[in-house]
Amino acid sequence: MRQESRTFVSVRRFVAFGVAIFVIFTALTARLYDLEIVRGDYYHQLSEQNRIVRLPVPAERGGIVDRNGYVLARNIPGFAISVIPVDLSRTREDELSHRLASLLDLPSDAIADIIRAQRIRNPYEPVRISKTPVPREIALVVTERAELFPGVRVDPESIRFYADGTLYAPVIGYTGPITEDELAALKDSGYLADDDLGRTGIESVYEQYLRGTYGWREIERDAAQREIKTLALQRATVGNTVSLTIDDRLQKLLDGELRKGVEEDRFTQGVGVALNPQTGEILAMVSVPAYDNNMFARGITSSELAALNADDRHPLVNKAIGDIYPAGSTFKMVTGLSALQEGTATRNTVINVTSTSFSVSGQAFFDWRAHGSLNFITGFAHSSDIYFYTLAGGSPMAPNVQGVGPEAIAKYGHMLGFGAPTGIDLPDEAAGIMPSPEWKLQNFNEEWSIGNTYHEAIGQGYVAVTPLQLLNAYASVANGGTLWKPHLLKQVTDGSGNVVYSQQPAAIRKLDISQENLRTIREGARLVVTSGHAPMPNAKLPIAGKTGTAEFGASSGRDIAGHNKLGFHNWFISFLPQADNTDPTAQIAMAIFLYDSSKSLCEFCINPAVGMTQRILEQYVGAKK
Amino acid sequence: MSVRAMSLPRPATPLHDRPAPRRWIQIDPILLIVTLLLIGYGLVMTYSTTAETRTFTGDPMQFVIRGAIWAAVGMAAMAAIALFDYAWLGAFAPLLYVFTLGLLSVVLAIGSSSLGAQRSVNIAGLSFQFSEVAKVLMIIVLAKFFADRRASIGSPLTMLLGLALLSPAVLLVYRQPDLGTSLVFIAIFFGIAFLAGARIWQLVALAAVAAASFPLVWALLKDYQRARLSAFLDPYSDPQGAGWNIIQSLIAVGSGGATGKGLTAGTQSPLGYLPIAESDFVFSGLAEDLGFAGAVILFALYIVLLIAALRVALRAKDPFGMLVGGGVATMLLFQILVNVGMAISLMPVTGIPLPFISHGGSSLVSICFALGVLQSISMRREPEGP
Repeated sequence: MRQESRTFVSVRRFVAFGVAIFVIFTALTARLYDLEIVRGDYYHQLSEQNRIVRLPVPAERGGIVDRNGYVLARNIPGFAISVIPVDLSRTREDELSHRLASLLDLPSDAIADIIRAQRIRNPYEPVRISKTPVPREIALVVTERAELFPGVRVDPESIRFYADGTLYAPVIGYTGPITEDELAALKDSGYLADDDLGRTGIESVYEQYLRGTYGWREIERDAAQREIKTLALQRATVGNTVSLTIDDRLQKLLDGELRKGVEEDRFTQGVGVALNPQTGEILAMVSVPAYDNNMFARGITSSELAALNADDRHPLVNKAIGDIYPAGSTFKMVTGLSALQEGTATRNTVINVTSTSFSVSGQAFFDWRAHGSLNFITGFAHSSDIYFYTLAGGSPMAPNVQGVGPEAIAKYGHMLGFGAPTGIDLPDEAAGIMPSPEWKLQNFNEEWSIGNTYHEAIGQGYVAVTPLQLLNAYASVANGGTLWKPHLLKQVTDGSGNVVYSQQPAAIRKLDISQENLRTIREGARLVVTSGHAPMPNAKLPIAGKTGTAEFGASSGRDIAGHNKLGFHNWFISFLPQADNTDPTAQIAMAIFLYDSSKSLCEFCINPAVGMTQRILEQYVGAKK
Repeated sequence: MSVRAMSLPRPATPLHDRPAPRRWIQIDPILLIVTLLLIGYGLVMTYSTTAETRTFTGDPMQFVIRGAIWAAVGMAAMAAIALFDYAWLGAFAPLLYVFTLGLLSVVLAIGSSSLGAQRSVNIAGLSFQFSEVAKVLMIIVLAKFFADRRASIGSPLTMLLGLALLSPAVLLVYRQPDLGTSLVFIAIFFGIAFLAGARIWQLVALAAVAAASFPLVWALLKDYQRARLSAFLDPYSDPQGAGWNIIQSLIAVGSGGATGKGLTAGTQSPLGYLPIAESDFVFSGLAEDLGFAGAVILFALYIVLLIAALRVALRAKDPFGMLVGGGVATMLLFQILVNVGMAISLMPVTGIPLPFISHGGSSLVSICFALGVLQSISMRREPEGP
């Protein structure tokens, strides 16, 4: 029997089968060796990539405060509304889209499209529906009536909030969503697709300090992309606090005066800037009318934006640095310093202004009155046009006085910072125009005329300045000859209150002008007030300054409404010495610019900026002491 | 010798060539030990791939407890079968054949669907995969068929008759649809026929006909089966779809490295990247958790099991026993090859369980049943000569 079975079944077949077993297992083992030993690291990496995903943890943006710590920009909690498609039955999709649409003021079709797209992409992952942070009340509606909002998730997120939005918007600017191009450029710095970044103003300039350091969270996720657990966490570091040099109290004093004037239609726009002449620290910067930067923070609507863009008073422009205007008589400081420093005039140069005009080459040049005999100080104090025409270009009224000429004026104008941005830590600063014969030839292909010299001498004609440039030039006179670079940044502090950066004063240049000549201007500026040209009744402070009336119209007289046809702006640039003397000790200098104040004023009425300056400085400095 | 001389002679029955006394001493100890080791290994792997699952809820030990219960049932079945003379199985082969086809028809008639296929029948809250049992019964039927035709084994008619016997079962399983299991049936046929001494050219011709009819088969395949075959050739052509399983399985296996991530420490299966990680893709989980070393140990156990099965076959007292032993070895080897091959992308994806390691009562009990038959064969072999 045994014999029979062995002959029936070939042992060789069983041996072959046994060999097949070994061959098969050898092949399987060889393949496994290749996968696990040779390429094990590669596959290990793949398995880690599969399950571990690193999610960014956004950092809270740093705050912005004034020099005393008053909070100007902070974050308030808002909410993001998302939908997780897997938790929302298809039958209720339309119903939910409509409900969210009315709640969030978004088109319901768009919402339904977002949900449908996500359902296909990854139904387990929440997709964000709200485009901008949602206020607490709306978030509460969703969470309290959860049965009406299936699959809807509410997550906290921050809204940038600007206290006194309109007051500080020209300085602080706002944050906004990152664009695709910016994202491409900034991705390596850790910016995310749904990030906000500073779009203009301080928010933009000091983005690096404010943004903070994003953390990350390494999570384990399953095949359906659901989060299983957190494996590792690197906390975000809150953005640094940026302290500005601005003093909110002074800012509000300035704003109060300027906004009142605009509201009363005494002028259409107002600009006020104050700084510390000893350091270049900006103490206040007001531009009226402005815009509420909270509109941008919460997402501006296109109609709101269109209205802002259509306003010809340029509410989106920080007019302290972004628009240029004729300087008017305030520019006589430049003409005067040029003549003094070049030696064509001294403080004792006397010109007898016997009439209100003279003519050269058939063209008449006017003064606002026949001043009589003036020296440099009284000429400056009474703002005699003819006196400064003469210092600039000579005149038939004083043949013995040699004009200093437009080249010299341009030289000292540039030295004082005109025609170039001051370099303040804000974007979109205008350069202004400091004309010269060469400049005119280049830009208009015309020869410079004596008329150009006369107009330039009194800050008309081609001269165009920003209020900050003008203020900074006066500040350099007030401090004894240093043109500081104006700045808004005082210091940067981290989340624990440590100062990580402290802005030191930076000089643009030392003026190549003698102390004596600077003192002469300061003396003249003080006399502007004390002589009654810029009257400050019951003055409590030894304010010095210079008025300016910059004309921008063509004809004169009054229109039917009694307004001056010849439009003009009013300037008053002031500085406040520590004592009533001419020492370069001023701790504050201020420029007030009133655009189109001709609406309510006669040309030779008292410049309203003077009274404002007195009120503001007396309140500010008085209370400070 | 004296004991045997004194035992009562057993009457010859029509079902027996001659009395076949069982000899407990002739249980194959290696086969038994390796069986127990593999069952243990299987429970460990069930634990490893399901205990730490982070995507399902419920008792984390539920799969292990169920596996242990099935293992106990399997061991009992193995012991019970070993007690009986396997010759009875041969005697009742025609009945078993009818029973097999009946079982497979029942699945088609009342089977419950899972993953688009009707493969199991629910009885008393438990789900049974009758095709697992059918495989073992088919081994007995085919072994009996070829054992009885040892004189005409070279005749093409024998082969055609054998095919005729096989075909209804293959078609019924294919209709479930369960392509993998129907391939196991075909493999068993080839294995038994080969060991029975069939002409090699006939087997080759059959294989050639099968290969030639591939375009026809392709047309009959379901879409998902075609997608699986395409994905096998190039998994990265559809990495999120048909290629997903293959890619994730390769990642699981490869990431195990030399010694693995540790029991329950794998990430691919608990997080759901590996589909059906406790069953079809259990080898990927094993290779991830226990690494190359764990896989080689498993292979060693399998080799010992298969060689032991072949030894039982070779020492069997009759051709039927030899062919049953060979058939069981064929079934096990084919399932191992296809399941492991699938996990490491040497074979297309088919849902064939890995013997002992895949979690599943029907498969485990059926294999224990088959190994019980082998022990029965071993116990009833001619005693070793002095």
